[in-house]
Amino acid sequence: MTTRWLGAPIKRNEDPRLLVGQGLFVDDVQLPGMLHAVVLRSPHAHARILRIDVRRALEHPDVLLVLTHADLPPSLREPLPKLIPHPDLKHHKTQYTLAPDKVRHVGEPVAFVVATSRYAAEDAAELIEVDYEPLPAVVDLEDAAAGRPALVHEDIGTNVAAHSVQRVGDYEAARARADLVLARRFVVDRGCASPMETRGVVAQWDPRARQLTVWDSTQAPIPIRNGLAALFGLAQKDVRVIAPDVGGGFGPKIMMFYPEEVLVPLAAMRLGRPVKWIEDRREHFVATNHERTQIHHAEIALDREGHILGVRTVFLHDAGAYIPYGLIVPIVAECTLPGPYRIPNYHAEFRAVFTNKTIVSPYRGAGRPHGVFVMERLLDLAARELGMDRAEIRRRNFIQPHEFPYDVGLIYQDNAPLVYDSGNYPAALERALEAVDYPRWPEEKARYRAQGRRVGLGFACYVEGSGIGPYEGCRVTVEPSGKVYVATGVGTQGQGHFTSLAQVVAEALGVDVRDVHVVTGDTGAFGWGTGTFASRAAVVAGSAVHLAAQAVRQKALQVAASLLEASPEDLELADGQVRVRGAPSRSVSLGEVARAANPLRGVIPSEWEGPGLEATRYFAPPRGTFSHGVHAALVEVDPETATLRFLRYVVVHDCGTILNPLILDGQIHGGVAQGIGGSFFERLVYDDSGQLLSGSFMDFHIPTAVEIPEIEVIHQETPSPLNPIGAKGAGEGGVIPVPALVAQAIEDALDDLELEILRMPLHPDALFELIQKATRRGS
Amino acid sequence: MRIEGTETLHAPRDRVWALLDDPQALASCTPGMQELRPTGPDEFEAVLSIGIAAVRGTYKGKLRITERTPPERYAVQVEGTSGAGFVRAVGVLELEDQGAQTGVRWSGEVQVGGALTLGSRMIPGIARMLAGQFFQCLDRKLQEGSP
Repeated sequence: MTTRWLGAPIKRNEDPRLLVGQGLFVDDVQLPGMLHAVVLRSPHAHARILRIDVRRALEHPDVLLVLTHADLPPSLREPLPKLIPHPDLKHHKTQYTLAPDKVRHVGEPVAFVVATSRYAAEDAAELIEVDYEPLPAVVDLEDAAAGRPALVHEDIGTNVAAHSVQRVGDYEAARARADLVLARRFVVDRGCASPMETRGVVAQWDPRARQLTVWDSTQAPIPIRNGLAALFGLAQKDVRVIAPDVGGGFGPKIMMFYPEEVLVPLAAMRLGRPVKWIEDRREHFVATNHERTQIHHAEIALDREGHILGVRTVFLHDAGAYIPYGLIVPIVAECTLPGPYRIPNYHAEFRAVFTNKTIVSPYRGAGRPHGVFVMERLLDLAARELGMDRAEIRRRNFIQPHEFPYDVGLIYQDNAPLVYDSGNYPAALERALEAVDYPRWPEEKARYRAQGRRVGLGFACYVEGSGIGPYEGCRVTVEPSGKVYVATGVGTQGQGHFTSLAQVVAEALGVDVRDVHVVTGDTGAFGWGTGTFASRAAVVAGSAVHLAAQAVRQKALQVAASLLEASPEDLELADGQVRVRGAPSRSVSLGEVARAANPLRGVIPSEWEGPGLEATRYFAPPRGTFSHGVHAALVEVDPETATLRFLRYVVVHDCGTILNPLILDGQIHGGVAQGIGGSFFERLVYDDSGQLLSGSFMDFHIPTAVEIPEIEVIHQETPSPLNPIGAKGAGEGGVIPVPALVAQAIEDALDDLELEILRMPLHPDALFELIQKATRRGS
Repeated sequence: MRIEGTETLHAPRDRVWALLDDPQALASCTPGMQELRPTGPDEFEAVLSIGIAAVRGTYKGKLRITERTPPERYAVQVEGTSGAGFVRAVGVLELEDQGAQTGVRWSGEVQVGGALTLGSRMIPGIARMLAGQFFQCLDRKLQEGSP
């Protein structure tokens, strides 16, 4: 009897270890003689540095090192590396290790203090005197685009880093023959991921081995290793970066570099002692990347039956003070906007704009929530205008199942054409509508209304680009113990890779999933890869794991065939054994096969291609895979307090072949919770001088179990043809459509007020104002 | 943020003005003022120790009298920094002659940065409290008869 591991809802291999506190997070790394570092950060959003005096800090008896820009080696005085260039990105300004002569956002590192304890380092940082000449802060995005009230980077003469246009068909012509043209201004404001674990770095330099070891809570250990080797003039083999257990990534932990990732190794090398830096939550709010602010001027053109003739969006994207990560977020926004709909004519145009705020890089969704919000809102408002049912207008525009592969006509974030690989959009919507009994909703709503309750039904559709290249790799090794060791370059931040990747191997080799040990995020274990981002680990690394495991399987069959004197075709792998099909007594354990594959004497046949039961394989997809889904929810609005309560939340989710439905459910639950937080509770509020006013959990309200409803997940499986396991990404679908859904549900609940919700995140006071305004208008 | 208030001091306007014009009297009535050193005409360096929300700090800063219209109006500019961040403020005092007593209208435009922003919602309340202590002290001095 062979057990099926792939697709089974098995519990996570890593949980026993994590649940009893045996995880290894960066702050758990304790080394003899370890020193502690603190970063002195700018309290100003925009200011010139006139003078830095570190003398009193250096006099502190417990201080070993104080660094300012002037103390850095020449390679670190330059701006840090440019990630992901783009022809439209004219001014690729990147952050500094330590600010040279000017600070451009609150929280920008100005000096770095290393002492025998964190306590002493904090005290010493307060002894550093910095004279600043404050400059007008560039806070408002539209002002910034017009060069007001100042320039974030004077040398380029503008705040606009990039201007980019993508066109499909001819929007102007489509508009000219439309029966309805509807235009609105949509605002999506700042948000941040708030992982449970803030960032942290520990570095150790072994001067004899000339070996640098860095523990870093990064999502991209291999690029960090390569970058550190380049900056410090070391061989890549002499730098080992370990991203151990990481307490949530969500995108912002994939920057390269955060200044501390350079400063901590530099200090460890200068002092010859291990150095630790752990970000505190207050720092995290200003020093770890944000996302989300965009202002879209969007327009949709339709015929009177509700068929989309064209869409146009012209938008501003807030890059923050620097733009190391390039144009990924705005490109993903414009490429996600078309969603599951046929849009024959599309004009997308954006400007990426510098402001005196924390740097922006992808955060779970990474432009997708923006695109979906704009598109779904346009359809909702158009349906209202045309007197059409909001489900019907979507049905009339869906790309149909027979139309795949579907070329949207744009170039995606991986510089490949945006071509949807597979999907079934109409079926997903019908399943969601059936789950919430949409046909009977008017009666249900009336029943609530009769009880004096304002309940709205909202739903939203999305397509999620995922699983992009360039590549990932994996090495699978069966040891003589029969245990299987798997090493891959993607790091893990709680996604369950120790289990889902193990399942792929268990399936191929017929071993118990608990006998498959996965190592991720240690460049010493596997040195090729790009990182965990864009919902790609299961797809790209998962496929590499599959290929390596299949290669090991073939080798096991070959070696066992000679041991059992049988033909490989007559053998099967199950229960950790290789056995002759139909004659189970003729078998050999996988461990014995591994031993036989690595003999001490004798001859290895050339077809074994080397010793051992081991294989390394790489997977490089031609382009990304496209998951999709529909969320639907019943949301109750209290018009007096302007608070929301989610009564039901249904997710129909299609991410191709499911590796583990339990883990997938967890991804979706967490995503929806983060989406609800980012739609209604959390907000990053800046004042006119560029100070973040909501920089603590007192003011930045992460939703709790009280606010998050039970989430019903309906799985739909349309495999991807682009990879051997048929998988698509699942990391971001939980977040993406939530703002669009919340807006539609509130409008439905308060339909007598004819609200238009054009801004996200919303929060009680903003909703209260909308309700007041609408009520005044009505009376 | 803008903060304002009114007070009544129990002395004629000329005496109030004379007291306000005496840096040492001002310093002794300013809550948390540890040092006030003149550095030029109408310019001082100050060391101030105050707590804002959960953040107590010692602020080093400059105080400059930017306007002086005896005996009616008085404007100051203050800049202070500490490990917890910075405070910048512009304050205006207007004195109204009410015979035996003097009406004071005060207003301030305050900007804070750094860790202090976490407590920024509490700053108006704290500023009003500190202003209250300041004027009570002045009033006491006026009633004690010291000029």
